[in-house]
Amino acid sequence: MKFAHLSDVHLGFQKHESLQKIERQVFEKILDECISRKVDFVLIPGDLFHVNIPEMRVQKFAFAKFRAVHDAGIPIYVVYGSHDFSPVSNSVIDLLSEVGYITKVTIPTSHEDGQISLKCLIDPKTGVKITGLSGLKVGKDREWYEKLDRDSLEAEQGLKIFLFHGGISDMKTDSGMDGDQMPLSLLPQGFSYYAGGHMHKFNHQSFDGYSNVVYPGTPFAGYHADLEDNANGQKRGFVLVEFEDIIKSVDFVEIENTEYEVIEVDANNRKAESVNQELLDKTRDIDPTDKVIIVKIAGELTTGKTADVDVSAIRDKLNDAGSLVVNISKNQLRSKEYSITEAKGDNKDEIETNVFAENIGQLRFEQQELLGEQGVKLAKKLLQELGQGQLVNEKKNEYIPRVRDSVLAILGVNKDDSQ
Amino acid sequence: MNEISVVGQVVGGSFGDIVIRQKAGTDLEIGDLMVSEENGSFLILQVFSLEFGSQIQDKMQQMMSGVNLEQGVVDAHFYEPDFVNYVLARIKPLARVYKENNEVKIPKSMPSFFNKLRLITKDDLEFLQKEKDSVFVGYIRSGSKVIKEAEVWLPAEDVFSHHMLIPATTGRGKSNLVKTILWSVLDTNKVGALVLDAHDEYFGRVGIGLKLHPRAKDNLMYYTPSSPPVGANRLTINLQSIRPEHFEGIVDFSDPQFQAIRMAYRQSRKNWIRDLMLTDAVDAGMESSTQARGEFAAATMMVVQRKLRLLLSLEKDEEGVVFSRHEVFDSTTKGLTTVDDIVKDIEAGKVVVLDTSRLGDEAELLVGNIIAAKLLQKYKDAKASGELQRKPVATIVIEEAPRVIGVDVLTSRNDNIYSTIAKEGRKFKVGLTAITQLSSVIPKTILANMNTKIILGNEMKQEREAIIASASQDLSEDDKNIASLDKGEAIVTSIFVPFAMPIKIPLFEDIVKEKGVTPDNSKTKVF
Repeated sequence: MKFAHLSDVHLGFQKHESLQKIERQVFEKILDECISRKVDFVLIPGDLFHVNIPEMRVQKFAFAKFRAVHDAGIPIYVVYGSHDFSPVSNSVIDLLSEVGYITKVTIPTSHEDGQISLKCLIDPKTGVKITGLSGLKVGKDREWYEKLDRDSLEAEQGLKIFLFHGGISDMKTDSGMDGDQMPLSLLPQGFSYYAGGHMHKFNHQSFDGYSNVVYPGTPFAGYHADLEDNANGQKRGFVLVEFEDIIKSVDFVEIENTEYEVIEVDANNRKAESVNQELLDKTRDIDPTDKVIIVKIAGELTTGKTADVDVSAIRDKLNDAGSLVVNISKNQLRSKEYSITEAKGDNKDEIETNVFAENIGQLRFEQQELLGEQGVKLAKKLLQELGQGQLVNEKKNEYIPRVRDSVLAILGVNKDDSQ
Repeated sequence: MNEISVVGQVVGGSFGDIVIRQKAGTDLEIGDLMVSEENGSFLILQVFSLEFGSQIQDKMQQMMSGVNLEQGVVDAHFYEPDFVNYVLARIKPLARVYKENNEVKIPKSMPSFFNKLRLITKDDLEFLQKEKDSVFVGYIRSGSKVIKEAEVWLPAEDVFSHHMLIPATTGRGKSNLVKTILWSVLDTNKVGALVLDAHDEYFGRVGIGLKLHPRAKDNLMYYTPSSPPVGANRLTINLQSIRPEHFEGIVDFSDPQFQAIRMAYRQSRKNWIRDLMLTDAVDAGMESSTQARGEFAAATMMVVQRKLRLLLSLEKDEEGVVFSRHEVFDSTTKGLTTVDDIVKDIEAGKVVVLDTSRLGDEAELLVGNIIAAKLLQKYKDAKASGELQRKPVATIVIEEAPRVIGVDVLTSRNDNIYSTIAKEGRKFKVGLTAITQLSSVIPKTILANMNTKIILGNEMKQEREAIIASASQDLSEDDKNIASLDKGEAIVTSIFVPFAMPIKIPLFEDIVKEKGVTPDNSKTKVF
């Protein structure tokens, strides 16, 4: 017997058409593999979709593929991830569950004494017991684990699987992996397999009391950094597990997505012109046709602004040469000349004022209202406005114009002024 | 002054050793704090010695006793005994408090002759205001009387960066004090602490502990190697985190052995310990006793392997995977980020408790060494980039401190990170909180650098002398006082307090009872 474990598909994440296509292809290919390999069931512990209600295009192809898996008699067991979660069952996950294509495995009971107990669901064909908890943003699901009635779960006999969505600090392999991690000790012990989601790289480890804690990783890309990892050789796919009354093997099945090229430029102690030249030279050396191109520029320029590093020319050049998409990362590029001096203050407001006041002298504009004390005030107003989050129930296409119009009003310019 | 509250009157003596006559019916104790009201200020004085005084000559008293004892005269008594016989107390001035602004200064004058003294009250101690980001250590104690309204708070950043010493013998309340201190450290994120908990007693794995602090969820991290309780972290350190210099001053390697270690590190880098442990010294052609081509004698290599095996409890399985029996060290992919994670937590002002109870002495110090070295380096870097001010002060709590800062360790081996921190950590906001039974074996230079000492009871004269000699205030008359400190009683001497403060440390259990969290029994919605 065997089951498949995939997670963090993040359907609907990609904005670029060619990447959307890959996102879909990879997803469909994995489920086709599940059908052709005749798995007994599929586990998806969260972040199947990038948002709780993705656009119709995504829903259409997802439903079609899930129907195919359903028709093949393969049940799919899921928990919500931090991206597709909805506290009021207002997620496409719920829709899929409602029509019977997938099954949410969390069957909780909240007791008067605060304890939470979970009931195991039993896969009808294999008799495997399955349960789990969804993942919430900023580790809010930790409370569930702390209140979990672990004894009853640990006492369950037979082959049992726990689905969870969250980073496990014990499994970190890279200290750069920050964010909400929870210790493994929060999970109940004694399960045969822990199907994890949230971490985007394949990871399989066993610990005392916790055998087979597994993250398959994202099959393509759910964060921008994933593409860069892919370009640097990160393998993507899903996990195939063979079992009888115990887990017999856990294998990573690679699913290829696309080809990549990486252009990296170290800008440390250099001028913008020389960085631009190196970018051009390196662009000439590669064949970008049908590839995802990752351009990474990092370091501290000796003179000039970071904006002097001209990435638009490179982008155009690569696009013209037939690249699928060009991803340019400049967020680690600094400039000695225009570095931000930090400033102190007793509170947030004071710190902001002091940082602006400390740095505004570096700017050279003809418009006097952008400089001096006036400039500081303006910058603070802009910062405040741009820091506004999206309102509850506000759509993105309402949110963006709202913030844009407010910002333009603060600057005292019209939308049409630039044209 | 209310006549009823008078306990004595100044009758003689000299500066630092003033003699008062105790009022009949009062019962002065060693360590009692009293107040002499002066013009616009008052002096706080402390009893350091008590003796009898009498207007009748000694020989006469002895004869009277003979009559009383030998002739069975039962109704013999002194005529007006309260006038004739009395107690004389020797007291020393601790501080002068100016009433106008509550300013506290070191006294430079005597109380007025014949001035009447009273016992200290909470109103006299109003200058003990809790300042922002301070650490609670206990209540002012006058003799054995505790003034609960007078809480003693120490400025956290100052006391921790200038190192703290907690000298005491067993059973005098060391761990209760450490828990009390850490409890208030947990209140804010202004102090980050690494606690090497050799007895696994601070977190409260079973029973009461720091885990019951209301902010424990955010501010307390507990690492333990074996079956971590729910929510706790597994203490696993990957062997890749260990570098040769981490053994310096901790493990007794000979020069050739250290060279072999460094060579192994140069050759294998990250996996040097694993590779070194898997090297068969003889097969690797190291039979020769000479060190040709940078190779080492098989014997040296084997000694190094044996020492590492014992130190880190290493074994290898049939597949050649090196692992440690107590699971703290790992040669595969576990624990790769533990050191970084712990350092980050300390930098974020959290208290990190490491349960090192399953580790041997040297392994415990090694774990602390790896983390402390990284922490100090990060704080040094922060200083270089001008960011140190924003970081919380960091302290490393270490028991039986002479293991790393004792005279014999520092003279026989190279400096280790703990002694480096003791000497220069202050500049980088990294300090030691050293707990010891044996202060006398810590070099004077280091003892003098420990600018806050919370002295608990100690019956060993040699130890008391070492503490008194390095105290921030003059404790030369306090030898008996320190010897007679009961469990939970202490004297705080520090450059950050105006005088050596006698305190009573509350029972940690009482603090938890009063301020600890109660279990959350509210119903929780699960989606």
